[in-house]
Amino acid sequence: MGAFELICPAGTLASLKAAVDAGADSVYCGFRDETNARNFPGLNFSRAEMRQGVEYAHARGKKVFLAANTYAAAGRFAPWKAAVDDAAAIGLDAVILADIGVLDYAAGRHDGLGLHLSVQASASNPDAIRFYQEAFGIRRVVLPRVLTTADIARLNQEVSIETEVFVFGGMCPMAEGRCALSSYVTGLSPNSQGVCSPAEHVRYEERGTQMVSRLGGYTINVFEKDEPAGYPTLCKGRFVARGKTSYLFEEPTSLNAIGMLPELKAAGVVALKIEGRQRGRAYIQQVVSAHRAAIDAFGAGRAVASDRLGAVTEGGRETTGAYTKAWR
Amino acid sequence: MMDDDPRAEPERDDRILETMAARLALLLARPLPPALLQPPLDLVMTILKRRHPGAFERLTELPEAEIVVDPIDMPMAFRLRLGGGEMRLSVCRRDDIGEPAALVRGDFAVLLDLMEGRTDGDALFFSRELTVIGDTSPVVALRNAVDGEDIDMLADIAAMLGPFGRLVRPARGAASRARSSLVGLHDLLLGPALRRVEGVERRLTRLEGR
Repeated sequence: MGAFELICPAGTLASLKAAVDAGADSVYCGFRDETNARNFPGLNFSRAEMRQGVEYAHARGKKVFLAANTYAAAGRFAPWKAAVDDAAAIGLDAVILADIGVLDYAAGRHDGLGLHLSVQASASNPDAIRFYQEAFGIRRVVLPRVLTTADIARLNQEVSIETEVFVFGGMCPMAEGRCALSSYVTGLSPNSQGVCSPAEHVRYEERGTQMVSRLGGYTINVFEKDEPAGYPTLCKGRFVARGKTSYLFEEPTSLNAIGMLPELKAAGVVALKIEGRQRGRAYIQQVVSAHRAAIDAFGAGRAVASDRLGAVTEGGRETTGAYTKAWR
Repeated sequence: MMDDDPRAEPERDDRILETMAARLALLLARPLPPALLQPPLDLVMTILKRRHPGAFERLTELPEAEIVVDPIDMPMAFRLRLGGGEMRLSVCRRDDIGEPAALVRGDFAVLLDLMEGRTDGDALFFSRELTVIGDTSPVVALRNAVDGEDIDMLADIAAMLGPFGRLVRPARGAASRARSSLVGLHDLLLGPALRRVEGVERRLTRLEGR
């Protein structure tokens, strides 16, 4: 491990191997059910695949974390219990959780299993983080993507656990784990069922040379010929307000903070996370190797190259997000 | 990857053998009745199933759906029926695509790269090199199942051809070298003329600006 621990996504066993081979320190992935926040068709791991993935990573000195970071349904706790129990049995190094019921179960049943607080818990202040630390013994918190680097530095002075932040990938501009935009339109929840803009509710249509993006029967964007496109999420939809068509919440763009390693180090961040369990293994290989090189360069005091990832960004655009934004 | 690794990153322009072979096969197939075309396609699916059982298992478990994969630089498109316990591949004319659950459109080389996990489907979609029309659910499932496998179409074709399969990789190398030679010849013959034309264009632009 270098100046930061590099945490990389994997939606398939092939992606996990690609992440490890490209220089990940740790890989996070989910089981093929609603217990994880990327519950997409054909994605995620069976128990047997997870076992193979953990063996592959451990044999190379790398860690694997299980994301079981959705909120358990009342009266139907079994899938989340099974996810935590199986993570412990398979030998995953930590579980990334958000639901206090699941955290309580994991803390009470599996002493040696590392607990990380998911970004889905949206714990963005010292009081919230201390609650999870004192109640469940979490070792690390993944900070929501709403804090500036100055906020992170202040927060790190007040908490005694490790902080992990997103460095690259899709941007969620909402209060994570609380957003109901997609639920409102589709009836399915990103927070409890792991499906933001579920594929079965997304349709694309051609209208002349335009591409129309529809979610749950509503038109949420129209792209002109050759205009870079984005994910079909409401937060990145283009709407008419006061007679003007614009992106009301966030434009299609990807976070890229690879050029901010000095600021993030100074802010006390321990681990950098790449978003994208839903992406192909070519993305994983490219993005992970770029970050491995950047972290190693930063650790050795060399200049960090940050111009290699434009082709994989959403909408063909990059942002440093809230790290450099003044809004709250 | 090492340079001599047969899977070493072929550039899209380097898909010349696959593109030429597919175009030739589809041109020959176009006038034939569907009943004659189906047995070789069924054989392709049988071999793919044997070589990639994991991807097949994921795809046959899905709800039934029909996806048309339309390589825009080919004379015909492909129709893939998946889910409901089986998978079936057929070819179709562009005037006979009908109303599939979804349609995926792009250059043949792009689609081949996607199938082999050499490129990221979301990035292709963002850049509009890949078009998806209709229900995205079976397309996402197909993409994830294929991306999770280590598919190498040349190796799969070589497996289909039995002892003749050993000729596939040298053929790709020869096609690639032939293309490089043609590009070199093109540059050698046309380079000076093109440079003169560019010079004239620059002078014209300056004159128009006065």
